[in-house]
Amino acid sequence: MQNQLAAMLQDAALKIAACQTANDILNTKANYLGKKSLLNSLYSRMRELEPSERPAFGNLLNEARQKIEALLNERNNAIKEKSWQASSRSLDYTMPGVPGARGGYHPLTIVKREVDEVFLSLGFEIAEGPDIEDEFHNFDALNTPADHPSRNLADTFYLEGGKLLRTQTSTVQIRVMEKHKPPIRIISPGRCYRNDKPDPSHSPVFTQVEALVVDKGISMSDLKDTLQNFAVIMFGSQVKSRIRPHFFPFTEPSAEMDISCMVCGGTGCRVCKQSGWLELGGAGMVDPNVFDAVGIDSELYTGFAFGLGIERIAMLKYNIPDMRILFENDLRMLSQFRGELQ
Amino acid sequence: MKIALSWLKNYIDLPENIDELAELLTFAGIEVEALTRLEAVPKSVIAAKVVSAERVPKTDHLQLCRVDIGSYDYPEKAEDNTIQVICGAANCHSGMMAVLALPGSKLAEMDIKVAKIRGVVSHGMLCSERELGISENHAGIIELPAQTPIGADINELYELPDAIFELEITPNRSDLLGYKGIARDLAAKLARTLKEPATPELPVATGDLKLGLYNEEPGLCPRYTARIIQGVKIAQSPLWLKLKLIKSGLRPINNVVDITNFVMYETGQPLHAFDFKLLTSREAGAAHPDIVVRKAYPQEEIVALDGKNYILDGDELVIADGKKASAIAGVMGSEYSGITFETRNIVLESATFFPGSVRKTSYKHKISTDSSYRFERHLSAEYADKVSARATELILKLAGGELAGELYDSYPQPEVRKYISVRPARFELLIGYTLSDTEIKDYLQKLDFEYKGKGRHQKGLVESLPALEDKGEAHYYAVPAYRKDISREADVLEELARLSGYDKVPQITLPQQIMDRHAYYAKRKAMQHLVAWGAYETLNYSFSDPKQMQKLGFEPETLPFMKLINPQSQLHSVMRVSLVPQLLDNLAYNLNHGARDIRLFEQGKVYLKTAEGHEEPTKLAAIFCGSRMPGHWQSKPQAIDFYWLKGCFEALLAEYGIATEIRSFQSPYQMDSESFAYYAQDSFVGSIGRIKPAVLAKWDIDSSSLKQEVWLLEAETDILAELSRNKELKFQPLSRFPAVSRDLSFLAPENISFGELKSAILALDSNLIQAIELFDEYRSKQIAEGFRSLSLHFVLQDQEKTLTDEAVEHLMARVQKTLIEKYEIKMR
Repeated sequence: MQNQLAAMLQDAALKIAACQTANDILNTKANYLGKKSLLNSLYSRMRELEPSERPAFGNLLNEARQKIEALLNERNNAIKEKSWQASSRSLDYTMPGVPGARGGYHPLTIVKREVDEVFLSLGFEIAEGPDIEDEFHNFDALNTPADHPSRNLADTFYLEGGKLLRTQTSTVQIRVMEKHKPPIRIISPGRCYRNDKPDPSHSPVFTQVEALVVDKGISMSDLKDTLQNFAVIMFGSQVKSRIRPHFFPFTEPSAEMDISCMVCGGTGCRVCKQSGWLELGGAGMVDPNVFDAVGIDSELYTGFAFGLGIERIAMLKYNIPDMRILFENDLRMLSQFRGELQ
Repeated sequence: MKIALSWLKNYIDLPENIDELAELLTFAGIEVEALTRLEAVPKSVIAAKVVSAERVPKTDHLQLCRVDIGSYDYPEKAEDNTIQVICGAANCHSGMMAVLALPGSKLAEMDIKVAKIRGVVSHGMLCSERELGISENHAGIIELPAQTPIGADINELYELPDAIFELEITPNRSDLLGYKGIARDLAAKLARTLKEPATPELPVATGDLKLGLYNEEPGLCPRYTARIIQGVKIAQSPLWLKLKLIKSGLRPINNVVDITNFVMYETGQPLHAFDFKLLTSREAGAAHPDIVVRKAYPQEEIVALDGKNYILDGDELVIADGKKASAIAGVMGSEYSGITFETRNIVLESATFFPGSVRKTSYKHKISTDSSYRFERHLSAEYADKVSARATELILKLAGGELAGELYDSYPQPEVRKYISVRPARFELLIGYTLSDTEIKDYLQKLDFEYKGKGRHQKGLVESLPALEDKGEAHYYAVPAYRKDISREADVLEELARLSGYDKVPQITLPQQIMDRHAYYAKRKAMQHLVAWGAYETLNYSFSDPKQMQKLGFEPETLPFMKLINPQSQLHSVMRVSLVPQLLDNLAYNLNHGARDIRLFEQGKVYLKTAEGHEEPTKLAAIFCGSRMPGHWQSKPQAIDFYWLKGCFEALLAEYGIATEIRSFQSPYQMDSESFAYYAQDSFVGSIGRIKPAVLAKWDIDSSSLKQEVWLLEAETDILAELSRNKELKFQPLSRFPAVSRDLSFLAPENISFGELKSAILALDSNLIQAIELFDEYRSKQIAEGFRSLSLHFVLQDQEKTLTDEAVEHLMARVQKTLIEKYEIKMR
């Protein structure tokens, strides 16, 4: 029986090596390990042996079985590997891939969203208010004298029924302070309207973001910190910021905010008109009269506010020469910003 | 660490309410991880004497006992005061005092009744510790001390009721690793007095035994003390001592070992006892054995008390006798030198080991013990002698014997007393409220900080006090030696805040919630969806021209325009009431500039005059024409149509989690039969439809020459935001059973809608049918007039079990039957 076994093993090795397909493997396996195989019959013939010889012979049979299984496996893997290799092909990798169908956001939305995110991350909340406002929220409560020129028809759009289109989102500050006691940390983004004819740097409709912080112990230093924080996150860590004295009715002291020109890095160029600085918007400490108008104790609380123009930031950031381009909605413009917002 | 209320009460008077106490511990910074109440046992559980115990025939472990219950009144009691009880415990034997629960007793885990076991009646049960609920031990029944009187009150013996607190001691607080430490913290928090055991008064040493002590590693063993007690009698501990250990989760062994554990749990300082006789000398023939504190020899072996052989590599600190290691220092003793019932003379070790070394050894050899746990957390060396005295006192009392010689004490570099300065003003700055100087002093003195006076503040610990002055900003305190965690002012401030209570920390700035976060992100979501579906966002002026609405087919006079008084032109003379005209402007503009596949949307406000004034709702509109996908050489372009737009809008609604129904819709600028509206709870949420070519023509868009249909989507963003405001997503458990799929194709009459068929099928079994997907619609000359072919893909799944073939076939047969009988469908 041992000789039979040895011959069978030799035979099996040859047949396995000759297998070419997965099917060959299955057939060969049935021949050598299946019910009708020699090996199987040798198992049943074990009882012909002396009991003492049976364990040793049993081991031989098991070894033979394992040997055949190992050879089958090895050959099977080799056949698979061959078919995998055969499936490889050469490609013209310069032909275009399938384009994605994603669209994109308007650049003003992109910039507004970035500004939102900066301030949300700084712990601000976002508050919104109506575009159509009354004189109280747009002018009176913001300490604008009754005869102030900004109230003119030439500057402000008025609607039938005594309403007007807000000229800045400071109106939202008033609405928030009417409803909420300090501490307040908000930004109010939204559309504003001024009676300017559309030209490269003006639009009757534009987008503004105002920031307002009211709490005990808020000083101009907090304004500077917030401005610098915003500038760095928005424009990069090299950007510097500064404030200069100015006048607004609703802040005292008032300031204009500049950031160092990101085109030339502050050395002076065409964009910054050789000054090294770009004007970002207005700012200041909330005027005590504004607090009075909304019933906040200006002895107990102080606050700062500033406003940013989204169109201006977008134009600076993306080098857009004319504000009117932003409202044409030309797909050739829009598609350039496809990847800008995550 | 497990602590028992009954034991803790030895050191402090405590509130009676256990939950209150647990809260108190947790808010003192000693978190109670688990609280187990040990209930009182009923009066029918008594101490009883097993008078006889005989094997029940044909059983291998049951014993038939006669149990003497004394004067306890029980109907089945024999004249000799005994009753019959069956017991299966191996340690049950005649003559023992046991705990008997008589029938009618309600125990924690069972109610005791008269029972018949193998045909023999048992009047009650002899109890293990687990059955009384005092420990997990169920190895045998309780054996009470022989002198316990029959009928004795078990609650009194076992100090029941009681409570076990499982405490999480933070790693910085080694001083809390004993009952006294916990009691001290509670005393400070509750302003009560810590009841310390009286300082032991030890008798004069009369024994003659001697010991050599060699500390070769004072760096790793700052202090080593040893004391010889000779002539002790090793026995079982008294019940009170055993009980204390059991309730703290320890296993009683013998009186001396139990005392070392008791004192460790009392003080936090581990102790170890060696059998004096088994310790050898360094020099052959010397008169006394030696204890050598040294590093292990490389490959030195030690069989520890856990019975395992450890091979040391030479870094470990060991406590050796003259020849070999008899303990892994601070971790575990050796088997050979341990205390047995034959031990007569003992060496009591009370020492301090370097935390890093103990931690390394414990980690390397994977042995963690009560002892290593404590040494790893840094113990002070100052108390080794006092702790030794406390244990010695108890050993002399419970095991007898006499002292031999004084305390052997190797303490080459005594710890230096350290001082720390605390500025009361700093407390307010860091914690947010004020504590008076007196309050601060009271809290700290309760924690054993000794007040020294005022002076100039210094950072960190100082070894000598500066000149003290009345006007100094800082208070100087001597830090108790056991507080190894105190090294800076902030550590002391933490102690004060912890004791005075974190609940006193004021909350000054409350969240404002000015922002409507849901609405903000709901608006973003709609935009994100359209961008993902290929649309570009446009932004148009808020102004409009009434004529634009006329072009859409409205009568401008009927529209609620807000009119400008000073418009720049007729084109900008009113506020917009719809986003559609400007989107058509944008479409025309881009067509004129050569674009063909165009998808544009705007989300923005419209402005409507109302009776009260005006409204500014935010709306969404999107316009589509051209191919579904950007062109690619591998695929044929397919135009955007109604079903594409339907998919787009329904996917958007799904993102808001809003259930809607689709209804027919009429709009002046869309094809009647190709426009539909969506409603959620009867609110209009949006519409989809094809723009009339006649309307497009008003924008100079010739749809027939363009060969493109123009489709429009409009949605009420504000309403979508509101309807989704309180939606909560809840995870649905996944079925563990496989899903089965089946396809079904049939011919359906044209006048029956897919939706109608789908609901009829779902109504058959909405649990089993997980999904019905339409994968083909087909018409041809081969199909009878007035019919279309529909092919459905079914996904079937049962949440409870594997679906059998029979169940699937049965369901599919019902589906077919319904379709045929109700809808005159022909199966293919």
